[in-house]
Amino acid sequence: MESQRTQPINNKSNKNQKMNVKTILNQMTTNKVILRAVVSVLLITWIGITSEAYAADAPQSFKVSGLVTDTNGEPIIAANVFEPGTNNATVTDADGKYAITVSGTQATISISYIGYSTQMVNVSGRAYIETVLLEDQQYLDELVVIGYGSQKKSDVTSSVASVKSESFNKGAILDAGQLVQGKVAGLQISLPSGDPTASTAVMLRGTSSLKGSTTPLILVDGVPGSFSTVAPEDIESIDVLKDGSATAIYGTRGTNGVIIITTKTSRRDMPTTIEYNGYVSISHQLKKADFMSAEDLRSRWAEGWSFSGANDQDYGATVNWLDEVSRTGIANVHNVTLRGGSSQTSVLANVAYEDREGTFKASGATNLRGRMEISHRMFDNKLITNVSIIANERTTTPSFNTNVYRYACIQNPTQPVYNEDGTYVERPVYFYDNPVSLINETIGEGRSRNLRFTGRVEFRPVESFAVKAMYTRKGQSYLSGYYNTKKHPNTTEYGYNGYASRYTSDYVNNLAEITAEWNENFGKHYVTAIVGYNYEDNTSQNYGVSNRNFPTDAYTYNNLETGMGLTDGNATMYSYKDSDKLIGVFARATYNYDDRYLLMVSARREGSSKFGANHKWGTFPGVSLGWRLNNESFMKDYTWLDNLKLRAGYGVTGINVGDPYLSLSSLSYSGYFLYNNEWISTLTPVRNPNPDLRWEKKLEYNLGLDFDMFGGRLGGAIDLYRRDTKDGLWDYSVPVPPYLYGSITANVAQIRNTGIEVMINAVPVRNDNMEWSSNFSYSTNKNEVVSISNDQFSMSTDWFTTGHTGEPIQTTTHRVKVGDPVGNFYGLKSVGLSAEGKWVVERLEKDDEGNITNVYYDLAEDAGDEDWQVLGNGVPKHYLNWNNYFRYKNLDVSVTMRGAFGFQILNYQEMYYANPTIQYNVLNSAFDKHPVVDLTTGQPTGQEVCINDSQRYVSDYIEDGDYWKIDNLTIGYTFNTSKIKYIRNIRIYGSCSNLFTFTKYSGLDPEVRMTGLDAGTDSRDKYPTIRSYTFGLNITF
Amino acid sequence: MKKIKIGILAIILAGSTLTLQSCFNLDEEVFSEVTEASFIPTDKDVAALMASAYSPLTFILNWQGYFDVQEEPADNIITPTRPNGWDDGGTYRRMHQHEWTDQQWQPWNVYLTAYEGINNANRVLDQVKDGSLPVGDLYDATVAELRAIRAFWYAMLLDTHGNVPIVTAFTDEIPTQSTRQQVYDFVIAELEEVVNDLSELTDATTYGRMNKWAAYMTLARVYLNAGVYTGTPQWEKALNCCNAIINSGNFSLSADFSDNFKKDLDYTNSEVIFAVPYDDILAGSSQHMKWYPPVSRFVFQSKFQCWGGSCANPQFINSYQPGDKRLEKTWLMGPQYDPAGNLIWTCRNYLPSLTCNKDGVNYASIDYGYRVYKWEFDNVTSYYWGNDFAFFRYAETLLTKAECLLRLNRDGAEAAELVTMVRARVFDNPADANVTEADLRADSKMNYGTLDWDNNIADPGDQTPVELGGLYDELGWEFACEAQRRTQMIRFGTFSTKNWFNHTAITDGHTKIFPIPLEEIQANANLKQNPGY
Repeated sequence: MESQRTQPINNKSNKNQKMNVKTILNQMTTNKVILRAVVSVLLITWIGITSEAYAADAPQSFKVSGLVTDTNGEPIIAANVFEPGTNNATVTDADGKYAITVSGTQATISISYIGYSTQMVNVSGRAYIETVLLEDQQYLDELVVIGYGSQKKSDVTSSVASVKSESFNKGAILDAGQLVQGKVAGLQISLPSGDPTASTAVMLRGTSSLKGSTTPLILVDGVPGSFSTVAPEDIESIDVLKDGSATAIYGTRGTNGVIIITTKTSRRDMPTTIEYNGYVSISHQLKKADFMSAEDLRSRWAEGWSFSGANDQDYGATVNWLDEVSRTGIANVHNVTLRGGSSQTSVLANVAYEDREGTFKASGATNLRGRMEISHRMFDNKLITNVSIIANERTTTPSFNTNVYRYACIQNPTQPVYNEDGTYVERPVYFYDNPVSLINETIGEGRSRNLRFTGRVEFRPVESFAVKAMYTRKGQSYLSGYYNTKKHPNTTEYGYNGYASRYTSDYVNNLAEITAEWNENFGKHYVTAIVGYNYEDNTSQNYGVSNRNFPTDAYTYNNLETGMGLTDGNATMYSYKDSDKLIGVFARATYNYDDRYLLMVSARREGSSKFGANHKWGTFPGVSLGWRLNNESFMKDYTWLDNLKLRAGYGVTGINVGDPYLSLSSLSYSGYFLYNNEWISTLTPVRNPNPDLRWEKKLEYNLGLDFDMFGGRLGGAIDLYRRDTKDGLWDYSVPVPPYLYGSITANVAQIRNTGIEVMINAVPVRNDNMEWSSNFSYSTNKNEVVSISNDQFSMSTDWFTTGHTGEPIQTTTHRVKVGDPVGNFYGLKSVGLSAEGKWVVERLEKDDEGNITNVYYDLAEDAGDEDWQVLGNGVPKHYLNWNNYFRYKNLDVSVTMRGAFGFQILNYQEMYYANPTIQYNVLNSAFDKHPVVDLTTGQPTGQEVCINDSQRYVSDYIEDGDYWKIDNLTIGYTFNTSKIKYIRNIRIYGSCSNLFTFTKYSGLDPEVRMTGLDAGTDSRDKYPTIRSYTFGLNITF
Repeated sequence: MKKIKIGILAIILAGSTLTLQSCFNLDEEVFSEVTEASFIPTDKDVAALMASAYSPLTFILNWQGYFDVQEEPADNIITPTRPNGWDDGGTYRRMHQHEWTDQQWQPWNVYLTAYEGINNANRVLDQVKDGSLPVGDLYDATVAELRAIRAFWYAMLLDTHGNVPIVTAFTDEIPTQSTRQQVYDFVIAELEEVVNDLSELTDATTYGRMNKWAAYMTLARVYLNAGVYTGTPQWEKALNCCNAIINSGNFSLSADFSDNFKKDLDYTNSEVIFAVPYDDILAGSSQHMKWYPPVSRFVFQSKFQCWGGSCANPQFINSYQPGDKRLEKTWLMGPQYDPAGNLIWTCRNYLPSLTCNKDGVNYASIDYGYRVYKWEFDNVTSYYWGNDFAFFRYAETLLTKAECLLRLNRDGAEAAELVTMVRARVFDNPADANVTEADLRADSKMNYGTLDWDNNIADPGDQTPVELGGLYDELGWEFACEAQRRTQMIRFGTFSTKNWFNHTAITDGHTKIFPIPLEEIQANANLKQNPGY
């Protein structure tokens, strides 16, 4: 049925190939001006290519052999090979190879196979020809996964993006998120940390929630998981459902978008292949903060500077503390996949090993993963059963903590690491431990095991109807041991005398899903429908113990009972368990009339045990419409246009609350009270319960335009959206009294995001020898906090402050205010320094309405909260991505570029360390001179001085963060393997990630966290981002 | 084909109807907490529930707690910027200079913690009254005790914030604000009403709890400050409360002043009327981390390294009389040696300024300023201390009585006798301990005025003699670092008139109560800010 419906498109597409260039140009003039420039460039190359294809041939008998593969390099068996107009014909063998005698060296042969576009190949005198067959109308008919099913791209009426494995980012990829970084308009994926145990941060279409997470629902083969559930090399495609009309069917989990990861799979009738993907990668910190070296410090002393605390004197050594704790990180990744299939059974096995070292010593992780999947068809293919198992063991070193980095930065560079007796140099300076001792004297390991069993049954009695059932049980168990030896500061400064802890946790999830689906063609009407039921429960539990005061270091954490902490009262113990349930029923129907008018409606009724008794269930409807203009009769002259579709959608989605029991009124024994000479536990309420707690609701409107032209050479999509968050969750301030605690989790906020996304894909060059494909995307989002009050909870001000500097500055950094976007920096605006080196800031006089009536200048230390103002915003307004892929014969090059514009960053390292008066080692920039301003006018006096003030949060530390990154450059070479027995494919590549950054930002990396209410925070403890160089090899046997 | 489809649909429908109940059940399963709906309290739980009205009291000696609120704005203790920080966004400078805003943490914490105690008391009171918490014969005593501890918390708020809401039941009704007079009336009425239902025992069963004597002392302190709270002094009533305590014969001064600050303080100390018990493991205090510099670890051989910070105002130290052992029993002074006799650091009675911003030096050296050393140093614990805090000492009863007698111009000789009694244990020479009524009525020995870099007077400011200045000093020396100084200074009229250290008087007096915390005003539209903020 699928192929029937695609027939008309096929025909038209074939016409395109023979189309006259002049006609195209004529039609172009009637089209949008914007596209004209792009298209003209493409046409020039087009002419070159097409003219080559029409070269004349001379009849003469000629023997040709060749190989036919699909885009994955898999051989196509039994493909038809023939020379049109002759009887010369053959089929490919089990290896996809063929031999044919044609009429001459300039003959044209046709290669075809069901489900693939027929390709005409000009022999051009070649004796051996490799041909890659594209699947039928790949760019239009490729299936896009839309959740609980899939749809042809041309039928999709929502904003959905699909990225296939061949377009994934290459290199030292940490998780699935990095594969599609910069590939999907509106989906911001960043890895603002160089920590190999970190994971990518995701934001879709702006900040729509104050409290809820920004993490999308990630489904791995239909089961909720994460970006690291399977190895990146094991992934076939990643589909992103962006707008509410598409994600409404996922109800309370749909607001942040749904990312559907489809793993590699085996097919029926597939020869057994073994594929190896492996790489070695070395990485180093992109940029190191410029702290004073021993030489710098000595020259400062010579200049007459004196310092307190860390840098009080010369301790005679020359130590580069950052080097002492850093290293070049090496990563080894090996991934093997076995696939094969008979007419009824297909199997896949994947095993992967990853060992990733961090660029700080003792940071890193190793992963061992395995996945097996078996599918079997029986009863005339009416029953399909599928069993899969995913297992993953991950070992991390919990020895690394951010203090290692912080202490390495602030350590006196003339201070030796060790005393003469071999002990560590530890000095009684506040928060100042020897970072080398932290690393060396910590022993530990954490191991988590993930296991996921999935069983599926699909019964399809007739082609148009199927019932599917799925059950998944997945779980994670974690066990860690941790020990600080007696040389660790815990003992040398805090008297622990050895400290050990153990922790274990266990998580179990059950998921059951039953769906029934039906589709039917009635002439020009095509209808599909699906109904389903979904049950999910989660149970988490953990316990942990710690002890101290051990007789020896020899046991580490393996003989906890020998510690005296239990007797001393310093041993700790805790355990916890919680659970929640999520139940949903859903239905979706699509209707297609004549490939012109498309409709999709869906609804989910979902309930969660986390919600208050009064609001257990919610309904999440979605509807979208599509109009394929190109199939209208009035458009029939524009034959170069393959697809022009207008889409409109509306959908309601939600965000669930985090903690499972926020609606319950509970008591717990906590705190102690001396009662009749005995300490007893105090019984106190756990929280302010909120029985009205419910999901955070988001209403989204989406308007889109898809276009494809010139047989897939140029295409794209434009989307406009508006997302209105209602009942937004927030830990709302409530008065004490009557409430016991100062906040309650309630549905109060309203937020609006509006934005535009543009994506353009172009293939300016594609022929046997050469290809250049390019993908460009742009997105912009406008965020506005509409309200932070409701009927029950209202604040007398329409703002609250958030974000916090921590010690010693101890102030908030951001403000959330009605009418403003999330992410606004809020503080004192500095204009320069006083002659004494103190920060001079703007002070404000305001009228009764709060409007500024006068600005004058004063020392920051005398300014107050009333002088605070908006100093910038940490959420980028514009994102731009540009990815390019070039191939010349066997050599390929891909370049990924990303940029973010229109935002500011608070540079914490400068704020904390660019100050010569503090008690720690500082950045060399601490001695930079700043302009002195006149206190009455605020104008520069021409003088310059160094800072001589406390560390302060002022606008000088807020910098423009605009950046453009050449993020990933990969150069690969695919060997000709036609003469190598047993080997189907060999490819080698070299890759560099985080290659180059254009930015004016003075900190380490302008790619900082853009999510959260305190977006744009470049924390001083951030694990510095890395640049990595990768050499990789793919072989298919 | 159609039949097959219908058949399948029917099977699905039938199956789903059967399992419908269990398939759509969303009841929470709770493991690590006790839901109120399922909780049936037993008499054993009564103590645990009632304890929730008391346990917030440990905030007194914890971070940004009651100690800071009573000492940082007063003239005894200063927290200057140190080489290891202690600027903390200027929070301590604002406390010293009375420039706090409605977001100042320390008074905010008092507000929240007091209401935590009040709310918990109300909750349990409601449950006792409606019978859901079975207390049997102890009904009257339980209700009296809960009302007394609730009044104690309100007495604290009466002193710090003044115009606060009075809430007497645990509902989610948004409360309205009461005036300071109304809060005063409420505290007095509640305590007077329940005082006779409270236990008279002073043993383990009432240690750390509101017995009759703790209630009388709470009343005494409220009456003593009634003039500040309402404009009408109540010296006579304060005197009566003190007499009730004195006449009970339950209390006496401990032989050694320092006995009140020992690690093992308990109900056997007859000077303690009401204590907040701490335990280094179960309910520890952390205020000492703010007192001692990191190097003192080597001196005390402590397991933990303190963070430094607060020290004495040199002016206050200079006011001590020669021979007063309370100086050395309250403050850490002079050279500090480790057990091997190596000089580790020297604690000097000198502090250039709060921010010490002179000659490019932006901090106060750790050597500057005497450190709080009143409580026995516990070097065995790691981090938390377990020394109990004697909130009301019998010495306060005696000195309060003395003050009332002097204020009432009644028996000056008896007043002097009471003060002498308190002083006797801290002077080796009994003659030095003796004071006369004239001594008590003399001006304070505090040499008020802001200090310059060399700790000379820069701006003397108001030099009006302090009324009952001798008694005022006595209270300062006796109760230094016991979270009383702010209240004393307000009562003696020095809080908003005198200059000291880097503090210049804010004479409009608005700082005598703290602002209602911003977040509370934001959340409760019924609340109006205190005047002057």
